[in-house]
Amino acid sequence: MKFAHLSDIHLGFQKHEALQKVEQQVFEKALDECISRKVDFILIPGDMFHVNIPEMRVQKYAFAKFREVYDAGIPVYVVYGSHDFSPVSNSVIDLLAEVGYIIKVTKATSNEDGTISLGFLVDEGTGAKIAGLSGLKVGKDREWYEKLDRNGLEAESGFKIFLFHGGISDMKTDSGMDGDHMPLSLLPKGFSYYAGGHMHKWNHQEFSDYAHVVYPGTPFAGYHADLEENAKGQKRGFVLVDFDEKVNSVDFIELENTQYEIIEVDANNRKADSVNSELVEKTKGIDPNEKVVIIKVAGELTSGKTADVDVSGIRDSLNESGSLVVNISKNQLKSKEYSITEAKGANKEEVETNVFAENIGQLRFEKPDLVGEQGVKLAKKLLRELGQGQLVNEKKNEYIPRVRDNVLAILGVDKDDSQ
Amino acid sequence: MDELQVVGQVVGGNFGDIVIRQKAGTNLEIGDLMVSEENGSFLILQVFALEYGSQIQDRMQQMMSGVNLEQGVVDAHFYEPEFVNYVLARIKPLARVFKENNDVKIPKSLPSFFNKLRLITNEDLKFLQKEGDQIMVGHIRSGSKVIKEAEVWLPAQDVFSHHVLIPATTGRGKSNLVKTILWYLLDANKVGALVLDAHDEYYGRTGPGLKDHPKSKDNLVYYTPSNPPVGANRLTINLETIRPDHFEGIIELSDPQLAAMRMAFRKNPKGWISDLMKTSAIDSGMEPGARAEFAAGTLMVVQRKLRLILSLEVDEEQVIVSRHEVFDSTTKGITTVDDIVKDIEQGRVVVLDTSRLGDEAELIVGNIIASKLLQKYKDAKATGELDRKPVATIVIEEAPRVIGEDVLKSRNDNIYATIAKEGRKFKVGLTAITQLSSVIPKTILANMNTKIILGNEMKQEREAIIASASQDLSEDDKNIASLDKGEAIVTSIFVPFAMPIKVPLFEDIVKQKGIVQNTGKTKVF
Repeated sequence: MKFAHLSDIHLGFQKHEALQKVEQQVFEKALDECISRKVDFILIPGDMFHVNIPEMRVQKYAFAKFREVYDAGIPVYVVYGSHDFSPVSNSVIDLLAEVGYIIKVTKATSNEDGTISLGFLVDEGTGAKIAGLSGLKVGKDREWYEKLDRNGLEAESGFKIFLFHGGISDMKTDSGMDGDHMPLSLLPKGFSYYAGGHMHKWNHQEFSDYAHVVYPGTPFAGYHADLEENAKGQKRGFVLVDFDEKVNSVDFIELENTQYEIIEVDANNRKADSVNSELVEKTKGIDPNEKVVIIKVAGELTSGKTADVDVSGIRDSLNESGSLVVNISKNQLKSKEYSITEAKGANKEEVETNVFAENIGQLRFEKPDLVGEQGVKLAKKLLRELGQGQLVNEKKNEYIPRVRDNVLAILGVDKDDSQ
Repeated sequence: MDELQVVGQVVGGNFGDIVIRQKAGTNLEIGDLMVSEENGSFLILQVFALEYGSQIQDRMQQMMSGVNLEQGVVDAHFYEPEFVNYVLARIKPLARVFKENNDVKIPKSLPSFFNKLRLITNEDLKFLQKEGDQIMVGHIRSGSKVIKEAEVWLPAQDVFSHHVLIPATTGRGKSNLVKTILWYLLDANKVGALVLDAHDEYYGRTGPGLKDHPKSKDNLVYYTPSNPPVGANRLTINLETIRPDHFEGIIELSDPQLAAMRMAFRKNPKGWISDLMKTSAIDSGMEPGARAEFAAGTLMVVQRKLRLILSLEVDEEQVIVSRHEVFDSTTKGITTVDDIVKDIEQGRVVVLDTSRLGDEAELIVGNIIASKLLQKYKDAKATGELDRKPVATIVIEEAPRVIGEDVLKSRNDNIYATIAKEGRKFKVGLTAITQLSSVIPKTILANMNTKIILGNEMKQEREAIIASASQDLSEDDKNIASLDKGEAIVTSIFVPFAMPIKVPLFEDIVKQKGIVQNTGKTKVF
């Protein structure tokens, strides 16, 4: 018997048409593989979609493919991920579940004593017992695990699978992986297989009491950083598990997605001009045709602003040479002359105030409104205004002037002043 | 003053050694605190010695006893015995409190001659109010009487950045005190702590412990090597995070042995321990034609030390495994050290259950974390960001293992000694627990600006503590010797006088302030 384990597909994440195509192809290929390999069931522990209600284009091809899987008689067991969950069952996951193409695993009961009981689903074809919990944003699901009534779950006999969506600190493989991780000890013990989602790299580890904790990782990309990882050779795909009373083997099935080129420039202790010329030089050496090109500039410039590192020309030339997409990452680029100092605070408001207060001293303006305490107030007002979203039923051509006029009013300038 | 409250009257002596006559019917104890009301202020004084006084000459008293014992005269009494025989108490002034503003100053004058004294009350100790982020260490104790309402709070950030010493012998309430301190640290994120818990007694796996603190979910992190309780972390440290210098000052290594380790590290920084463990010492020492890098003997000793200290073995698949599962040579525990340092930087209390580790392995684990922490704090100071970081403290038991005179003389400085010497500049402090203060060099002892002294029957140890105390404890030798379980004296540059305290029972704190189980329903999607 065998099952497939996919996760973090993030359908609907890609904004660029060329990458949207890749996203769709990889998803379809993964499920085609499952059908052709005649798996007994498929597990998808979260973030199948990038948002709970993705655009119709995405829903269309997702429904079509799940229909094929359904017709092949393969059950698909899922839990919500942090991206596609909905507290009121208002997610495309619920639509797919409603029509019977997928099965939501979470069978939770909240008890009067504050504990949470979790029931098992039994896969009819194999007898595997499946339980699971959804993942919420910023680790809010941790409370569920803390309140979980473990005894029943751990005492259950047979081949048991636990689906979860969240980072496990015991599984971290590099220190850069910040964010919300919970200790493995929060998961119930004694399951045969722990099907994880949320961590985007393939990772399989065994611990005492926790045999086979597995993250297949994203099959393509769910964060911007994933494309960079892909360009550096990160393998993407899904997991195929062979089992009877216990897991016999866990194999990673690699799926091709697209081709990449990566240009990395270390800007440490250099000037923008020298970085710009290295970028031009390195661009000449690659063939961008039909490839995703990642340009990454990181480090601390000795002088000038980070905006002096100009990649727009390079982007144009790469686009002209037929690249699928050019992705530019400059967020690790700093300047000794001007850099944003981070600041802490008890809440968002306080963090914003502190960051502005920490950094405003670097600015040299003659107008007193733009510096000091006045400057911080102004910056906060601007931030609040610029963060305004588009109203329901508001058209783009109404939204843009509204925000622009408000911002100009805050700055106390007329829109004709620049002319 | 109400005559009923009077316990004695000043009858003589000199500054620091004032003699009072005890009022009949009262029972003064060593350590009792009393008050002498003065104009606009009052003095707090403490009994440090008790002796008999009598209006009748010694020889006469001895004769009286003879009549009583030898001649069978049973009804021989002193005439007005309370008046004739009495107790003299020798007391010393601790503090002068100005009534107007509750200002506490070191006293520089004697109480008025013949002044009547009373025992201290809660009302007199109003200046002990909690301000800001402080930790409670106990209640003021007058002799063996505890003044429950008078809580002693210490400014956590100041105290921990200036190092804390807890000298005590076994069974005097050391772990209860440490648990109490850590409990109050959990209240706020102002001090991060790394606690090397060699007896796995602080978290409370089986009984009451820090886990019962209402903020434990946010502010307490517990690492244990095996079978972690729900919500706790597995203490696994990847061998790639260990560097040769982490062994320095912890274990004895000859120069060639250290050179062998450094060479292996240079060749393969992430896998040097595995490389060393798997290299055949004999083959490498006898490579034909080429000059071997190290003598086979050196390599064998290094291998043996690594094997014993880190409990490492090579399995049949040539993978290095550790018997207690703390060290891993594969992919586990790569981020543990960084995670712990990040937690401390966020003001959390990180408790490491090192009960399965040997002495040296425990110190090495602490060394790896403390080195990284100190480095990060140094970097933060260089970039001007240190102000935003909480104070960090490393809690270590049997401190002479790392800051003992013999260790520091015979080996290079280790991270604990470095922190003791220069950590204060970088907001990193040491909380050292020890039975043997006398073997810690005076320079380090003097730098530990807060000492919470528990009972100690060893004279040599008491002398070392008294000599390095922040207040004059020269008359407190007997007082320290007679401290009962849970009784302590706090001497610190952050308290106005050496405060006699009774540390509350940790179980009682948990009962009063521990987590109340939530019984509400939780919504699950």
